[in-house]
Amino acid sequence: MKRSELWQTLKHTFGFKRLFWRIFLTFWLASLLVMAATGYVLVSKYSSDEYNQRYFNDVLSQAERIVWRYEQDLSNGNVPKGKIKEWIGRNVKKRSDLIPMQIVDNTGRTIYHFRMNKVKPRDRTERLVYGLSALPYRVEIRLPEAPRIFKQVLYRFQSLQFVFIFIASALVSALLSWGIVRPINYLGAFSRRYANQQQVAAPPKAMLARGDELGDLAADISFMINKTHQAASNQQQLLHDVSHELRAPLARLQASAAIIEQHNPESRHVKQIHSDCERMSALIQQILNYSKLEKVNPVVEMCNVNRLCERVADDMAVHYPSIPIEFNGYPNAEISGYPEALHQALENIIGNACKYSPRGEPVELSTQKQGNTVIISVRDHGPGVKEDEMEKLLQPFYRAGNQMHTSGFGLGLSIAKKAIEKHGGTLRMHSPTDGGLLVEMVLPIHQQK
Amino acid sequence: MENEKYKILLVDDDEELCALLSEFLQTDGFVVETLSSGDAAVSRLLESDEFDTVVLDIMMPGMSGLDVLRNVRAKKQTPILMLTGRGDDIDRILGLEMGADDYLAKPCNPRELAARIRAIIRRTQNANAPTQAMVHAELHGIVLDSGSRSALVNNTTLPLTGAEFNALSLLMARVGQTISKQEMTEEVLNRPLEAYDRAMDVHVSRIRQKLAAAGINDVIKSVRGVGYQMLTPSPR
Repeated sequence: MKRSELWQTLKHTFGFKRLFWRIFLTFWLASLLVMAATGYVLVSKYSSDEYNQRYFNDVLSQAERIVWRYEQDLSNGNVPKGKIKEWIGRNVKKRSDLIPMQIVDNTGRTIYHFRMNKVKPRDRTERLVYGLSALPYRVEIRLPEAPRIFKQVLYRFQSLQFVFIFIASALVSALLSWGIVRPINYLGAFSRRYANQQQVAAPPKAMLARGDELGDLAADISFMINKTHQAASNQQQLLHDVSHELRAPLARLQASAAIIEQHNPESRHVKQIHSDCERMSALIQQILNYSKLEKVNPVVEMCNVNRLCERVADDMAVHYPSIPIEFNGYPNAEISGYPEALHQALENIIGNACKYSPRGEPVELSTQKQGNTVIISVRDHGPGVKEDEMEKLLQPFYRAGNQMHTSGFGLGLSIAKKAIEKHGGTLRMHSPTDGGLLVEMVLPIHQQK
Repeated sequence: MENEKYKILLVDDDEELCALLSEFLQTDGFVVETLSSGDAAVSRLLESDEFDTVVLDIMMPGMSGLDVLRNVRAKKQTPILMLTGRGDDIDRILGLEMGADDYLAKPCNPRELAARIRAIIRRTQNANAPTQAMVHAELHGIVLDSGSRSALVNNTTLPLTGAEFNALSLLMARVGQTISKQEMTEEVLNRPLEAYDRAMDVHVSRIRQKLAAAGINDVIKSVRGVGYQMLTPSPR
């Protein structure tokens, strides 16, 4: 919980999402690693060469001095074996400066030996040193050891440089990451805009002209949106046309039935035709309403919710004279939205409430403001709805208790739900403890752009 | 009604439907002429006063019913019944509307159509009947002359349709009282109020517009959920 909150704050503060940080951190880490590795290679190569050079120089100068001393001692006639070591020991600054080595003259006689006993043959190497007598001496030494690399690295990368590299690589990574995430975010917003408002706009030219994978993606999304839009509007058009085309024959059917009725006023069958025509006409109406809700609604208007409620209540009073509607309006309940869609939603929900209300029982209709929403509540005292049926009621052509009522097609609530959702609102149903059904339409006051 | 046959003009682009409806209405005692285009309807109506009522479909290709109404109303007061598509954005259509006498959603039962036509004819016949008492009423500077069925504001005649005149005189006769939409529909349009029936609202809004154009504002009040009321003039 806490972590997700922190995450939300981060997201809001920086306006970036996971992908941004993932790319950023990956690039940064990679660039830092590459730099460290390069540094390592450079430093190790550079310093070991230098170290070796210095080592061999030291070896040779020490060996030359020893050989010089030896030759001097030899020319003086005495060859004191331990004296050289003692002498050379006195000639260096500290004892650790003495390099382990073994010097052998051209006859194979060891003239100097210092700590070489334990050095294995494969760790040994040798150099030749010439004394003043121009005789060669073989100097056996151990191979140079690797220098202490990390000390060297830290020593070489002085702290300020390091900070600079750190920041520079962070900047470059952030730029890279932003460059990838920004167009993705843009495309996201682009498709969301279509989903919410059915606005078909081409993505900006700069996006399409990128020529990279993201440019292709933008072109593909744009293509997809156009296709989807076309399919959707074709479907809408089809539905609309079919319904309209159904109306014309229906009107003719009604007229024909009426003519038959004139000649044969008592015909039961003609009455049946009339009632079925009414029913079909109402169904076509509902389907048209349903399809209309899917259509693009370019203008958001101010809707006076109270006035809409009153108007619908007036209609219902004519339709259901035995059901009193008690209206309790919150003053100035206004929202920005689509009046026609809202009117349909109200008509269907209040109509249902009246339909299921027992004679004389009131339908309670009220509006209230809560935060940035207006809530319209419709309460009836009818038989109510079981909890498990509420979800199903919102599906088209579903009817509570599987009863086939003589009026209604099970479309009313789906239309209402669609209309409410078009406003970004929600439709809630409750079963009050004292029976009946409470339907609440929660509508945001301002439409989100 | 039997001694005189009323003549109806039926304008709809669906010719088969026109034929059926005219058969029905003829059997019902009307004389019916049908036309299938708006242009034809306009020229026919402008040249002749013989029709007692015109039934006009709004949705027609080319010249729509609203265009026909606008053209005819500019010159003639022939009663017109509009057939609106059911569930069309009715308020928007009626907002554009130029003064039809009544409205009926299509598809409809032809019996309902016949009843509406009779209601319109009865209303216009009553209005033309010379037996009606001459009533002069004056309120808010509006002078009603029921003899000539006209309303005068500052000696200028308001161009009111029959239904509008009836509605205005009803409101003025019962000044200060709220009259329900139901009662107004019955009194003014000679027919019962129906669900989704906006005819009365349209007539009242047209009266308001015309009064406002003559400089008289806010004399007819809407009483929410009930109906309309002509306000009592405030004493000066």
